[in-house]
Amino acid sequence: MKTAIYGIGNILMGDDGIGPAVVAYLESNFPLNSDVTLEDLGTPSLDLPNYMTGYDRVIFIDAIAADDPPGTIRLYSRDEIVATPPGIRVSPHEPTINDALIVLDFAGSAPKDVVLVGIVPQTLEGGMTLSPAVAGAVPRAAAAVMREVGKRYAA
Amino acid sequence: MTRVTVDPITRIEGHLRIDVEVDQGKINKAWASSTMFRGIERILLGRDPREAWLFTQRFCGVCTTVHALASVRAVEDALNLPIPINAQYIRNLILIAHALHDHIVHFYHLSALDWVDVTQVLKADPAKASSIAESLSDWPNNSTKEMAAVKTKVKGLVDSGQLGPFAHGYWGHPAMKLPPEVNLIAVAHYLQALEYQRYANQVVGMLGGKTPHIQNVAVGGVQNAINIDSVATLNVDRLYQMKSLLDKVVSFVQNVYVPDVCAVAGFYPDWFSYGSGVTNYLSVPDLPLDEGSTKYDLPGGFIPNGDLSKFHPITGQKDPYWRKAVTEDSEHAWYKSGGPLHPWKGETDPEFTDWKEDGKYSWVKAPRFEGQAAQVGPLANVLAGYASGNPLMVKWTDAALGKISAIAKVKATPAMLHSTLGRHGARAVRTAVLSELAVKHWQLLTDNIVKGDSAIFNQPEFPKGEIEGVGFHEAPRGTLSHWVVIDNGAIKNYQAVVPTTWNASPRDGKGTSGPYEASLLGNPIADAAHPLEVLRTVHSFDPCMACAVHTFDPQGNNVAKVKVL
Repeated sequence: MKTAIYGIGNILMGDDGIGPAVVAYLESNFPLNSDVTLEDLGTPSLDLPNYMTGYDRVIFIDAIAADDPPGTIRLYSRDEIVATPPGIRVSPHEPTINDALIVLDFAGSAPKDVVLVGIVPQTLEGGMTLSPAVAGAVPRAAAAVMREVGKRYAA
Repeated sequence: MTRVTVDPITRIEGHLRIDVEVDQGKINKAWASSTMFRGIERILLGRDPREAWLFTQRFCGVCTTVHALASVRAVEDALNLPIPINAQYIRNLILIAHALHDHIVHFYHLSALDWVDVTQVLKADPAKASSIAESLSDWPNNSTKEMAAVKTKVKGLVDSGQLGPFAHGYWGHPAMKLPPEVNLIAVAHYLQALEYQRYANQVVGMLGGKTPHIQNVAVGGVQNAINIDSVATLNVDRLYQMKSLLDKVVSFVQNVYVPDVCAVAGFYPDWFSYGSGVTNYLSVPDLPLDEGSTKYDLPGGFIPNGDLSKFHPITGQKDPYWRKAVTEDSEHAWYKSGGPLHPWKGETDPEFTDWKEDGKYSWVKAPRFEGQAAQVGPLANVLAGYASGNPLMVKWTDAALGKISAIAKVKATPAMLHSTLGRHGARAVRTAVLSELAVKHWQLLTDNIVKGDSAIFNQPEFPKGEIEGVGFHEAPRGTLSHWVVIDNGAIKNYQAVVPTTWNASPRDGKGTSGPYEASLLGNPIADAAHPLEVLRTVHSFDPCMACAVHTFDPQGNNVAKVKVL
């Protein structure tokens, strides 16, 4: 079973950098098995299918647009990602995860197991620091990712 | 009179807004506008120029490598620092592999739906589709069985009540003209393209260490340790792995992508007469062949008014003609207006008004070359190659025009390239040229390594005081330039003039429109509620708005809205 953990977002655009920040945190705090790929994908757009092909499961970490307070973490299942109309995304790196999944479903090479760990941002203005509420969510989001990894190993 | 707004127009990285005024079925006025601002270059001020590339490759998720390499070239230019020839070849291979990947994706995954009607696939005869495809090339994956399997896949999608990846397409639109079998071939190759573009991306990863953010670049060269016998470095094994990936991509480009573009073009000959717009063309030379970047494999230069006999070559980054000619004007952009400014003196002080058709209406500034609007992109590059007699450019241009003539049963000429379809054709020609150069530069690198040269890096040293540099690159979307001012070893000013800024330019102080705007004039609109024709022309430029203005939509809205006002 090949697993990938991908942070999505632009580190130059304030809280949009939350995905890469969680990846950096995981890198320095959690030893991962060699069959787990951990990568900051930045804003991959149409390249996204390339990074999903060949994996059985993919865990994404990304900023989401939701009405909850900044720093709130929400999980989206594969079905929710495919069914959710565009809008769970906040950044310019469309096409979205759901577009990539739809393309790969058609091609017959999509990972079966996909989950999105989403974090609500506070500000998306230019800058390389996370706002305090979102920075505070990094360890919690990392823990949520590790729970997903663990759950899948148990299964 | 009808006013149509398409907002945003790109299927990726949106935020480009196009307003067109339609009168009697034709566009008579057009505005291209970018709707979001972010002054991303400001993050670089005060930083170490040796690190700038790490940040610039985050400007745009599509063109990471492109911005990394333009940045190190700019700093090396400021230092007058040559780089070892191995480093040139390695960088060139990264740039070529990225472009092969990007051009394939643009045609099949971004713009084919402007021409291909997926629902027509259900009416196609797989055996007939196979024989048409086999008449176009020797590609082995065009069998009746292959075509039948793809037809079954599409049928499954349609029966499910959804169109999956094709849901955004204007299927059933009256402007769709391909026979059912050609639609089927296009969908079959859409799926194959998904696989072959990935091989090109793997080459970027093998040389760059990682994708999408490469790790191997440095001001002064690259960081790829070379030792032909060591497993941990760039060795013979890895070189041959790369070669086998490149060979697959080369074959796909020459046997599938080029014939497909010619076939689509052959069925839409009308579109050679729409979409010319601004016919001043700008491109820059690329793929340097020596340590000091004085000789290049691909030519570049300026062509005024589409007149190839007036082609003025640009000889390199040091060419004073190039260094002096570029300015940016913000008369109609949401910045404080002054005169047009050279990028080294560039300012980015926002002054937002509402969208005003006679005033300011875009976050994109208006770049100008010797004061004139200019179109950039593969068409500009191919015309420069054709005008300068570059053998590969001439060979592939003539081959493509020959194929189109045979299908369309009209004589296709280089003059027809000034058009919406010409941009697609030129992109295919450029990709074919790059596919040959991929093999050439792989050989140059391999021969040089085998000869015993393992140099990869020259140490940069920063002088006291102020220095200026420019790094250019003929990127997939056209001429990219990074302009840097360094003071006592720290960045004092940094401006990226990106390809889409040239093409999506608003009007300038003299009222001259940019390429998108000008190219839309006269385009037919069959159905104002479904302005497919606007998409055709704008997509032919391969827009990348997030890249152009480094913008951002806080609403995350990626639905292409079409409003009829």
